[in-house]
Amino acid sequence: MSLLQMRNCDVYYGKAKTLHDISLDVEEGEIVSLIGRNGAGKSTLIKAIIGLMGLERGERLFDGRDVTGLAPEALSRLGIAFVPENRRIFAALNVDENLRIATVMGRTGAWDLRRIYRLFPRLEERKDTPGDALSGGEQQMLAVGRGLLTNPRLLLLDEPTEGLAPLIVQDLVAAMAAINAEGVAILLVEQNLKVPLKLAQRQYVIDNGRIQWHGQTGELLENQEKIEALISL
Amino acid sequence: MSTIVIGLSMGLLLFLLAAGLTLIFGMLRVINFAHGSLYMLGAYCAYQIVQTTGSFWLGLLVAPFLAAAIGALMERVALRPVYARDHVYQLLLTFGFILVIDEAVRLFWGLEYKQIAPPDLFSEPVAILGSQVPTYRLFIIGFGALIAAGLFFMLERSRYGMVIRAASGDPEMVQTLGISVSRIRTFVFAFGSGLAALGGVVAAPLLPIELGMGFSVIIDCFIVVVIGGLGNIRGAVLGALLIGMTRALGYTYAPSWVEFLTFVLLIATLVLRPEGLFSRKGRAA
Ligand SMILES: Nc1ncnc2c1ncn2[C@@H]1O[C@H](COP(=O)(O)OP(=O)(O)OP(=O)(O)O)[C@@H](O)[C@H]1O
Ligand SMILES: [Mg+2]
Repeated sequence: MSLLQMRNCDVYYGKAKTLHDISLDVEEGEIVSLIGRNGAGKSTLIKAIIGLMGLERGERLFDGRDVTGLAPEALSRLGIAFVPENRRIFAALNVDENLRIATVMGRTGAWDLRRIYRLFPRLEERKDTPGDALSGGEQQMLAVGRGLLTNPRLLLLDEPTEGLAPLIVQDLVAAMAAINAEGVAILLVEQNLKVPLKLAQRQYVIDNGRIQWHGQTGELLENQEKIEALISL
Repeated sequence: MSTIVIGLSMGLLLFLLAAGLTLIFGMLRVINFAHGSLYMLGAYCAYQIVQTTGSFWLGLLVAPFLAAAIGALMERVALRPVYARDHVYQLLLTFGFILVIDEAVRLFWGLEYKQIAPPDLFSEPVAILGSQVPTYRLFIIGFGALIAAGLFFMLERSRYGMVIRAASGDPEMVQTLGISVSRIRTFVFAFGSGLAALGGVVAAPLLPIELGMGFSVIIDCFIVVVIGGLGNIRGAVLGALLIGMTRALGYTYAPSWVEFLTFVLLIATLVLRPEGLFSRKGRAA
């Protein structure tokens, strides 16, 4: 049984149909990536998974249970964490508070403040810094740490490496692998194949609001030309 | 000296009102026109409680909770269904609350104005630096400062405050952390309504308690909130003190210029620093 199943989902912004008949699964403990170019519909799909966008048609199942009608707060409590594009760090909160707020209603489990600070020591050094005074890399670590503190079973990462220096991307990739090794499934959104090829076992390619291809990472390598064409600008 | 005391007490009284208004705006993005009516309701409640029990302090304790309950009801039943709509609907709705509350007050207490005396404890003025100062004004300053300090502590140090600050900035993100934002909205609206009523109780011994009292104070309150920066508590404190002092000094030295001075402050803020004199980017407090 899959951890997450999106089945035949249509999503609209007002009257504009943005996602068409999307189906996507994530298995327990797996890393899956969702790849697509600018405007392909990646963030919209992620928001539909966490409940920030409603499904006009289709179903959302978590752990085999139909959770189509649930609000984001309920989905979070079931174990889905959202690390959004642009990080969305709370500007009025300092680093420590940005993490602690995730523990207010978050699930209890293996991840606590101490472990997040061990995973990202840089955050502990900047504990009292306001959220809006961080570098891009620090913000990304904070967003990942905040998500982890809800003790998710599935972590949604929307373009976590965007705009970061290569060295910081390396750290982040290592952190993702470590998080996944603890049994947390990851759905990783990217615009290119670099990090997905390193981390993910399965890949989905999205364009024009439709899933255009999906398969094992090995199969992707066999079709690399076709897929590069789907995601290049 | 007594001018300073009057200015500070007016300022802190305004702060009680402006704090609620600005908290509600920060969280709900709604300007609550009925805030002045809740203030008036607080004053009438105080009157009623003093009439029946003789205790001002009981009124100070009970009226805010009553107003908070009414506020919670207004938010849940009326405002919640229109958040998704255009802002105009929310403004109209809070305007509708004014009519309902005013009419209820008229039915209940009639058109004649009411009065209550300050508690006996404050009946004698005291001399400070050679001038006679009403003790009740000193009480307002102390009490207002206490509430302001409490509010800061709540917003900056407590979990509730942390969640309110976060949700004022990015409610969706807060939801994805398992926190129900609609409950926070109800709580904040109720809390702000309670503060308005608290202001009404505190003001009751100073003024005639009458139907129009909410209206005159809400204008000053809007000015404070604009000067301080919408949705900003620190700004509300400073803006309220600035307006309070301007008014007190104006009444003493240039009585016919008071309104003029107040509006000059407002217009100067809007022209020179429309985000508010005391706003810091992205801060709820
Ligand atoms: N709030 C919105 N209202 C209306 N249309 C939107 C909104 N947000 C996105 N869209 C449209 O929906 C489509 C998909 O956008 P989405 O943000 O999901 O793309 P994306 O794959 O995440 O792109 P990027 O790589 O730039 O983040 C785009 O055509 C975009 O213009
Ligand atoms: Mg996107």
